[in-house]
Amino acid sequence: MSPHENRPREDGLPEDPQDMKLMIHALVDGELDAAAALAVERRMAADPDLAAEHARLVALRGAVASVPRPTVSDDFLARIAAIAEVKSPEQAEAPKAASARAEQQLQQQQGKVIEMRARASRWFNSFDWRQMAASIVLTAFLASGATQWLATADNGAESFAVAVANGHRRSLLAATPVDIVSSDRHTVKPWLDGRIGVSPPAPDMAKDGYALLGGRVEVIGDRPMPALVYRHHEHLITLVAAPRQNEAKSVPMADDLSAGGFLLVHWTDDAFSYWAISDAERPALDDFVARFRAAIIANPAAGSPG
Amino acid sequence: MAGAPDGGTVLSEKMLAARFAEVVLPHLGDALSLARWLTGNTADAEDVVQEACLKAHAGIAGFAGGNPRAWLLTIVRNASYTWMAKNRPRSVVAVGDLADLDDVSPPPDNDADSPEAALIAKANSAAVEAAIARLPQAFRETVVLRDINGLSYREIAAMLGVPQGTVMSRLARARGLLMTELGGRHEPA
Repeated sequence: MSPHENRPREDGLPEDPQDMKLMIHALVDGELDAAAALAVERRMAADPDLAAEHARLVALRGAVASVPRPTVSDDFLARIAAIAEVKSPEQAEAPKAASARAEQQLQQQQGKVIEMRARASRWFNSFDWRQMAASIVLTAFLASGATQWLATADNGAESFAVAVANGHRRSLLAATPVDIVSSDRHTVKPWLDGRIGVSPPAPDMAKDGYALLGGRVEVIGDRPMPALVYRHHEHLITLVAAPRQNEAKSVPMADDLSAGGFLLVHWTDDAFSYWAISDAERPALDDFVARFRAAIIANPAAGSPG
Repeated sequence: MAGAPDGGTVLSEKMLAARFAEVVLPHLGDALSLARWLTGNTADAEDVVQEACLKAHAGIAGFAGGNPRAWLLTIVRNASYTWMAKNRPRSVVAVGDLADLDDVSPPPDNDADSPEAALIAKANSAAVEAAIARLPQAFRETVVLRDINGLSYREIAAMLGVPQGTVMSRLARARGLLMTELGGRHEPA
């Protein structure tokens, strides 16, 4: 059936036409390495049947991709997000209850003193009770407020920027600014993936004057986040890449900020919310950001795992 | 009231909640897609995904890196079949059928040329959906995991617990059926 049956095949591809078809599928699915892909493409060039199969597969993939996806409604997302939060009210409750208890004991002791000093009027006692209640409410308010801030530290861009700045400052004081030293994204990305299950694009920009030193994990608002460190002359640039949350606002244009004496640039793409920070001059930082963004667009593969 | 809260526990609970937000929430769309194709409708898919997310939350500490989407989808798939067995026992494919399905069929005649590819490319999405819905379960889940959820052969093989070659042949059969239907060709016998 195949017109090439009498030709010797040294490309390592299967002889069986059915198996050969699987190779076409694998090619379309991006499952072949470069050598195998080349061999399959050569076969296709020589065999119109295989080429037609390939054309059909590509067409089918496009057709399947056009099928509308179910949308994640806000309501549904909230329901699912609530699963993880089931525990949090109790956690917020616990310190609250503990401080309330401490307060109560204190008040009881004070109450005794008051009792000994003067068994005065009911009015005084009721005043005392109100004071106690007020202080419990205040403590509870402060405790829950603090918990809330910790839980949603990324609600304000400003507090996030301050946290990024603090992380950058700490890294400058530490023995080494990175947890994984490597100029190779194939080392840095899997390391980050393994630590926290997420890694941003890490293009190599040494030729632009920005050498990738490595990566580290930043914990901001109790969420671990990947950070890349680049060197530009004598300056370090920390790039924190926060995975985009659905509610996070989009900042497609780079936004110039400053925090804690450092200059920041903040922008977002489809996957990440980026914060670049450095003690370098503003033009250098802006240049870094522009080149980084261009590098991601030019080579999206730098963003894929591995 | 119990004793004072244990600082370590609180911290790790928080870490787990953060992990849930990172690992699960970004992939809800994929989870809904898969559940929808396995159960057949959107409302059931939400129930199934919610169930799966409860399981994912319970087991989030066991997530050891790797592809979070594949991890979540594995749970969604199990939840889908548990749900189907409970609510629609008749539609669950018996295991015995799978062996027959995995036999590689004789190649359909390949006299077709580019016009067929054009027909497939022009197929409207309702027709594509209907064609996918008509696939046998084992083929449908394989093609959905690959072409809609974007998992690799290796990830699908690990999820289904079958050799990679089986994934490849199921995928080829599934796509063959879809192309036949959408390309307006006669069913191969």
